[in-house]
Amino acid sequence: MSTQQPAQQGFTLPYPILIISSILLLIFTVAYAVSIGSVDLSLSQVVSALFCQSSCDINSIEQKIVWDIRLPRVLMALITGAGLSITGAMLQSVTRNPLADPYLFGISSGSALGAVTVMALLPAAVISITFGALVGGAISVALMLTLAGRSASHVERLLLAGVAVSFMLSAFTSLILYYSSPEIAATLLFWMMGSFSNSQWQELWMPYTMVAFGLLLFIIFRRWVSAIQAGDESAHTLGVPVSRLRLGMLIICSAITAVLVAHVGGIGFVGLMIPHICRFIVGAQIHRILVMCLLLGSTFMIWVDVIARSLLEHQVLPVGVVTSAVGSLFFFVILKSRSQQTINK
Amino acid sequence: MALSFPVFEAEELSWQASDKFILQQLSFRVEQGEFVGLIGPNGAGKSSLLRCLYRKITNYSGQLRFMQQPLEHYSRQALAQQIAVVLQEPLSQFELSVYEVISMGLTPHKRLLSFDNQQDRQRIANAAAQVDLADKLQQHFNSLSGGEKQRAMIARAIVQQPKVLLMDEPTNHLDIRHQLEVLALAKSLGITVLVSIHDLNLAASFCDRFILMNNGSIVANGDYQSVLTQTNLEQVFGVKAEIDPHPFHNGPRITFDLDSSFDLDSSFDLDNASNSNRPSDPERSS
Repeated sequence: MSTQQPAQQGFTLPYPILIISSILLLIFTVAYAVSIGSVDLSLSQVVSALFCQSSCDINSIEQKIVWDIRLPRVLMALITGAGLSITGAMLQSVTRNPLADPYLFGISSGSALGAVTVMALLPAAVISITFGALVGGAISVALMLTLAGRSASHVERLLLAGVAVSFMLSAFTSLILYYSSPEIAATLLFWMMGSFSNSQWQELWMPYTMVAFGLLLFIIFRRWVSAIQAGDESAHTLGVPVSRLRLGMLIICSAITAVLVAHVGGIGFVGLMIPHICRFIVGAQIHRILVMCLLLGSTFMIWVDVIARSLLEHQVLPVGVVTSAVGSLFFFVILKSRSQQTINK
Repeated sequence: MALSFPVFEAEELSWQASDKFILQQLSFRVEQGEFVGLIGPNGAGKSSLLRCLYRKITNYSGQLRFMQQPLEHYSRQALAQQIAVVLQEPLSQFELSVYEVISMGLTPHKRLLSFDNQQDRQRIANAAAQVDLADKLQQHFNSLSGGEKQRAMIARAIVQQPKVLLMDEPTNHLDIRHQLEVLALAKSLGITVLVSIHDLNLAASFCDRFILMNNGSIVANGDYQSVLTQTNLEQVFGVKAEIDPHPFHNGPRITFDLDSSFDLDSSFDLDNASNSNRPSDPERSS
């Protein structure tokens, strides 16, 4: 026992500290992201805009900027980062594939098809682009599950079905784009690269509900998901209904992704890399990865949005471009330092 | 042994995958506390039989009873609380720690939302100590040697607190010392064990009883005097065998060689026949 105890603490001790510092970082990030923009506000002004009831050191216009423009935008970035990261973490775990990401099953191409259909074929007044993208995403998931069929118990077939669906739907999107006007093509391109610019309060409830619901289910089933990590057959011998669990998790992940993509467009990298970064930091326990993904993913996404709207003056860069550029750089650094650590050991 | 009753009882158990019989009319019993060795050449149906017992395969015909109840009456969880399975070397993409792998044994006993308490952690620590891995709990599972991995899987089974331990070729890829260690560890648990082994001498030194399988049927079933006979081994494995007393324990020692009188063509035929019968992964084709 005496050899046991210090080792135990070795990995439990830093975890609360990590969580607390990540929470603080997230709070600071939100405040900072709200303060920065074409009208610069100080952090204290932001705090008073958020919490002050009367006699505040902020005028009503600034208050309006904070509440109506910046806060919904930051909150949308927050939930997008959090949602894509936990979805990626869950998909990587249930498929035991480190390359799995939320767009695995062609959801982004399905959503793009839905969006472009609405833009090109229907007047936007009838149904919103968001709704079109949502329907497109749902169709891609349904198609993938039909294609994979009863073989959903085999990971490889699921992955291949996802790839097939992705290509099929992209083909339709390209076809519609080919016959539509350049303006629509430009709009779609911008939409697909992702943006938080048009985020509004009334849009926020859906992503938040969906991510909260998904997270709840992920946490409930975390024991079974960790049992899958040592192989399907092995999980079966522990009493886990492997195929049903995997299918259920895939559907939840797809629903979260479809909702997020419909609202902000296709933002890559976050769902693939943040889970790996979190795994580096907190180890392989699924609930720790999920909590860490939630915090780091949202922090990362907000910073990306800050960079996207402040890097060039009077111009907003597509979030997807910044995510990939910043993210991969960050990831290289971590990978490099990790491999050096293992060499030094 | 006066109160002993069969842990497993199979009656005319058959299973076919894509219209080929993998298991044919198996009838056998495994009594409480026995250490039973499942032996036979590749493709004899040993793994398929074990998969029936842990209900990975469910579409078999015939009767299969566990603790005097039909196997299909048990829920997944109820079975997992009583039957632990150690498979061949497990794979993992992600870097699980040894502690996390062993703690998986808690899965059938814990409610979905519950967290591990002090008692659970103690159970994991005890199991790790029992398999002599207490100092390696925080290491990555993938960094362990083959023997240590298998010991960790046994620790996981210990945490599962089963009544029965099923092992599917747990000694593959291990060096001789680790082979002996893994089986000695399984024997030390004092529960019913059914293990499939390739190495006949290894089986001979640990098992109380042997079930010899070939082409999906049971050829012989009993103690070593009745199963590990020259004729059985020649017939099933197609080798010349010599059996004499083991110098270290009172079991048998088996020495074998390719039968030179056995003509190679027919031995190839035999090999092909068993290959085509092999359940390479029948689920994949279904």
